[in-house]
Formats: sequence, C-alpha cells, structure tokens
Amino acid sequence: MADSGIDLNKTYDAIVVGSGAAGGMAAHVLTTHGLKVLMLEAGKKLPIEQELRSMEWPYDNPHRGKLPPDHHALTFNEYTIRKPPYGPGFEKSKHLHSYAGSNDYVKNIVVDERENPYTGTNYAWVRARCLGGKTNIWGRLSLRLSDYEFKAARRDGYGEDWPISYSDIAPYYDKVDLYLGISGVKENLPYLPDSIFQRPTKLSCSEVMLKQAVKKMGRVVTQYRAGVTTDGLKHNKYRSQCYGRGACDRHGGCDIHAAFDSPTGLIYPAMDTGNLTLRTNAVVREVTVDQNTGKASGVHFIDAQTLKDYHVRARVVVIAASTLESARLLLLSKSRLYPNGLANSSGHVGHNFSEHVLGCHIVGLVKDLVGKPSTLDDGRPGGFYLPRFQNLSEKHPKFIRGYGFEGGGGQGMYPGYATDLKGFGSSFKEEVRNNRGAYIDMGAFGEMLSRYENYVDLDPVIKDKWGIPVLRFHVEFGDNDRHMVEDMQASGQEMFEAAGFKIVDLRTKTLTPGWSIHEIGTVRMGHDPKTSVLNQFEQSHDVKNLFVVDGSAFVNAGCQNPTWTIMALCWRSCDYLADELGKGNL
Amino acid sequence: MSTNKASNLKQDRRQWLKTSAAVLGASLLPGQAMSSEVAEPNTAPSVPKAKLGETQSATRFFTRAEYALIEELSETMIPADSHSGGAKAAKVADYIEQVLHASVDDNQRSNWRQGLHLVDLMSQHHNGKLFVDSSFEERIAVLTVLSDNGHMTELPEIRFFRDLKNLTIQGYYTSKIGIHDELEYKGNRILVEFVGCDDPVPGSK
Repeated sequence: MADSGIDLNKTYDAIVVGSGAAGGMAAHVLTTHGLKVLMLEAGKKLPIEQELRSMEWPYDNPHRGKLPPDHHALTFNEYTIRKPPYGPGFEKSKHLHSYAGSNDYVKNIVVDERENPYTGTNYAWVRARCLGGKTNIWGRLSLRLSDYEFKAARRDGYGEDWPISYSDIAPYYDKVDLYLGISGVKENLPYLPDSIFQRPTKLSCSEVMLKQAVKKMGRVVTQYRAGVTTDGLKHNKYRSQCYGRGACDRHGGCDIHAAFDSPTGLIYPAMDTGNLTLRTNAVVREVTVDQNTGKASGVHFIDAQTLKDYHVRARVVVIAASTLESARLLLLSKSRLYPNGLANSSGHVGHNFSEHVLGCHIVGLVKDLVGKPSTLDDGRPGGFYLPRFQNLSEKHPKFIRGYGFEGGGGQGMYPGYATDLKGFGSSFKEEVRNNRGAYIDMGAFGEMLSRYENYVDLDPVIKDKWGIPVLRFHVEFGDNDRHMVEDMQASGQEMFEAAGFKIVDLRTKTLTPGWSIHEIGTVRMGHDPKTSVLNQFEQSHDVKNLFVVDGSAFVNAGCQNPTWTIMALCWRSCDYLADELGKGNL
Repeated sequence: MSTNKASNLKQDRRQWLKTSAAVLGASLLPGQAMSSEVAEPNTAPSVPKAKLGETQSATRFFTRAEYALIEELSETMIPADSHSGGAKAAKVADYIEQVLHASVDDNQRSNWRQGLHLVDLMSQHHNGKLFVDSSFEERIAVLTVLSDNGHMTELPEIRFFRDLKNLTIQGYYTSKIGIHDELEYKGNRILVEFVGCDDPVPGSK
C-alpha cells in the first residue's frame, strides 16, 4: 500500500491526525460511512514484516536479536537518576530509544529520543512514529471497562464519572471484537465484562496451579485476553489467524498480523473503500481555525523529511495522535479566538493525566516443575490475567480503586533467570536446564488516580527536530497510588505462597511514570464544559467540528489495558460524527 | 608463586581472601598489579608483551592470547557435559569478541582487558601458571574465588567476572547448541492447536 496522493486544494470531509488504534478506527468508521478522509501520520510507513521477522532465531541475527551497538535503549536506572530531556549523556550512541525500543526488531518502530525530547518530571514516554504507531508492538491484552470504572465516582466519591455507561459502549465493544478478533474465556465477572471471544489459548502448568490456589481466595486467573485472531477473520485479507509461534513477546510484534495492528486491521481495509487518502511523514503542528465561525478549518503540517510546511482543509478534524501528543497539539493550536489553545476554555487540556502504576513484579519457582522434561509453553499470544479483587464489595481502608496482574509461567526460548543463579560450571548449567519450565512471574497494573495536578504543558524553550515546542511533564504518583503499591506487593506474595511457589524475586521499586504505556486523560470527556474538554462523543465542547478520539478522552484509567476501549469509544464517536455531519450540524 | 593446591584454595577460600586482602591490599590480587600493571595490561611484566599484544587487527578486539583465554573461561563457565556441548562448541568466544569489538562502552572494553589480565595474574599467583595452561580443577578454583564474592562489586575482577558470566550466558543460550541441544526448546514453530497443561502435577488429580 503506497501513499495515495494528497490534494492540497481539496476540502476533505475529515482529517484524521494519527494512524494508531484510534486513528485507524476513525478512518475505518468514517470511510465506511462514505466520508472522504485524509489520514496524516507523522512517521513513515515501515516495511514492517522486514522489521519484525517474527520467526528469526537469535543465532541467525547478527546481534542475537539485541540492539546493534550504536543503539541504546534507556533503562530504569537511567530514567531514575537522570532528568528529561534524556538525550544528553548518550552521545556515543547514534540512536537513543525509550526502554521499549530494546531489541533489533522494534528499534526502528519507536522514535529517536533526541529528535523528540521532552522536559519536566521523570517520565518514560514510549512513542512510535510510523504507520500504525504503537499497535505494531503493543502487548495485546484487550480488556473491557465496566461501570465499576465508568461510574467509579458514584461508587467511592472520588473524581468524576464518565459521561457514558457500560450499556452505551457495550455494542461497540462487540463490534470491535467481531471486526478485529479477540481470544479469551468467558468468566461472567461484572467488573471485567466478557468479549465475544474466539478460540482461547491454554494455561501452562504453573498457571493452572496459580488458578487453583487463588480460586480458594475467591480470585480469578483467566487466559490472557489477547487482541489476536485465533480463528481468522473472513472479512480481512491482510491478516492471518494465529499459529502459536509465540513470537509476539519475543520480538515485540506479529509479522502475520494475527495480533491486531492498525494498518492491516483498519487502515488497509479503509483504503480499499477508495475513501481514504494517507499522507505519511506529515508532522501536524497546528489545527487551524476559521476566525469567523470559530470552527476548525484544517491543519498545518511539516513534511518530516523536507521540512516543508503545508496547510490542508477539512470539514471536520479528528485528533488521534496518542494521549499526550493530542493534548500537545491542542495546546499548540493557539489563536486570537483560542489564546489558551484549542478546545481549552475549561483550562483542562493537559490536565487529569492518569496511567497505570507498576509497583510490583514477582517471580516464583515451582518446585514440582524443576527437572521436568522440556515443555512448549510460549506458543501462544499471552499467559494469564488475574483481574482486580480489591474495592469490589468491600472497601480497602487505605486506598480506592483496583489493580490486576498479568503474567505467564513456563519455558521460554531464552533463560533470562540464568544470570540470577549463583555459581558457574556444570552444576550451574544443570540448574539452568532443570529450571527451564519452573518459573512463573506476574506484574501488577493499578489505577493511578486521575488528578488535576498531574498535567503536561508546553515547554517555553525546548523544541523538537521540527522546531515545534515540546511537552513538559508535571506527573507524580500520589498517596493512593503508593498505598495501592504496598497492597500489590503483599497480595502478590500471598498468592504465590498460597500456590506453593518459592518467591525468588520481588521488585518493590515502582517503575517510572509512563512505563505502562497506558497513559490516558489530558483531554477528558464529561458533561460539564467547565471541567471537561469533550462531550460523550469525544466532541469538543467549544469547537463542534473537532473530535479527539484516543486515550486522552478517558476520565479515569481503571486498571484495564486501554486499547480495546479506545477503539470502541472511537467507533461510537465516529458513528455520531458521520450522522451529525450528514445532518449539517457540524 | 603460591603453591596452594586448587582444592585447598577452594576449601579455604575465606582464609585466602583474608590474607589476600591483608597482604595484597584491597584486591584479590597483588598490590603491584593493581597500582601499575593493571593500568596498562599489555605491558604487564608477568606476561610477555609479545604474547598479549600479538596480531591485534582492526577487525578484532582481543589478541590471540586473550581470545584463547576467553574460550577457556567461557568453557569453564558453561562446560560440555553428557547432555550437550559447552561454550566452546557454541563459539561463545566469537560472540564475546563481536560484542566487545563493536561496543561503544569504553568502560566495558577496558574492564575486559583488565579482567583477562587479572585472571591470569590470579592463576599465576595460585597455580603458578597461566589460566589456559591450568588443569580443570585449577581453573575452577580461580573462578570460584571470583564467583563467590559478588558483594565485592567494586573490584575490577568481580565486575569482570559478572560481565563474563552475563556474556557467556547470552552467547551460549542464544546459540543453536544452547537453544536446541541444551534446553531442548520446542517453540518458534507453527502449531495447529495451542499446547497447554491439564494436570500440573501428574498424579495429583
């Protein structure tokens, strides 16, 4: 699929800024409604199969799959002891990446940190500027939110409710399930609604042991709900069904596109309608406004390679640039009419940031599995999910909201545990071999409370490679987050001990803010235009023909992974958009 | 040179460490080595210069002697046994050579040069010969001293041992021998049906 030619003299029905989960979904829905859509992606279209090479063995790779020596991926320690911007100090490395760009297969998918700096508080910002964005390398865990999240404020008195209920979005979750494919097992949990699942994966032995142990505690271990088509999709010729190669975790992506990614799942089918024009290398720097009507008129973008500046017009502008980039673009779009940035009469753009706090990772050794024959445990798109159990029927005395664990047990290709085993020589070698299938690990993802005080704004001095002001972070975990982290660690140990696992490692350091790559908020929805930026259809309260359809619209983070909700909400909003545009209301 | 036998050294490691620290300074090695020789390992008097400085080309980081030493060190770390080949057969030294040659980390590069030299000094000190000329037991004795002192993390020889272990593990377990022969890894192939576990502890149901 090549870029089709952009027509700068034309007024498109809609411009979609960004090509990730949200941008792809917007393009899919709007083109299906017959709208003429222009998609602008800041990065390039990568030859993604050549990047991911899912089945390449380490010994067939010149660096055994690791980063080439002139690349460096930031580490937890470096994020901790340094301050943004993280570029200075790594001059010896030609390319500097976020922590997520840590192998040879994803190094060209994540951005170069030096070209895209940011300032302020410590933050691990993972960005992928290329067609499809982070969906090329996402973790695939696809969970629904419930009214425990949408109506969280009503339940515990903190923050704001979403302007929608589960019943509003449920039909759209169904549409996403059926259009993109999801694997999992029904559990009938009111706080983690089921999807319409395709064929599930299977649990490994240690995972079954954990499941049996926590069941006695009233808790659930279920198969990883993977945004992966395990049965195939008859309506999509760009994607294969999953063949259990287990490569999605090892390399970071899926080159047969069984795991959802925005290009093959959404954008290419949208192009097949004949209604989508794609322009890559288009760094959008401003949404322009008709000063007479106050409505959005189009966008300015800079060609990432030639640095030439362009303006293109549309009847509707849909921003889907990723949570923080979308807030940045609104703040950049200042004008006489909107001196604080576009859609920002509330002053809430950039505020109410949230994500997931990663305060616990635990590794257990399963004695019964030591010395057993080799087993095939990683031929699947994920391990297990252990849903939240706190603050459901009872109130925890020290914190509100919840956390879940994701994890996996069994033998993988590479024995990462070997470096932690003592000694050397034949006994060491034997221990590595004996333990190959005996480890299980899990990490907690907890809801970081959305707070007005956690925000981003524009740095007054620092600019990116294209001369555009960068974001400045003011983000820190709070007391509720810290109390939740203490509970994660205690409950993680409790459950592993209940399962009879010997705990061999427990990370008690909370990872740098941003690490979850589940950043949400900063352009939140709400009924009240004084305390929110968007209405229930992700439409600006201030500017009727402006929509922001990515994670930035979330009111709270829940503890569920956000991608499936981003797409369900976006689908609902774009149905509304098309309808309103047809009625002449935009 | 010490006449300690390898077995004694292993048994009496703590005692040896104690005397080392007292006699040799804050190191597992002779004080002279720490203060002067280590700074320029290629000119160390205890090892002939010609041997260590030999045939260093633009495409290689290690000298022939250093490479031979790495081969033996990695094989001592992960030896061949009745189950599978060891680090030598898996060409771990080639991997380490490649990593160090391409490394942009000057600290890591100098740590390796220095570390290799220190290993030979230790070997000389204890066994009266170079590491590559030592017996299996003598080699194990030297690495045991390094291995059991993970808490003395500031010593260059301990740092070296850690990096040696890490790179040997990386090189070995990403090799054909490590993945297929040793760990008998079954994945990375196309499956018709997902494999799972019905009975985690056979006989428990």
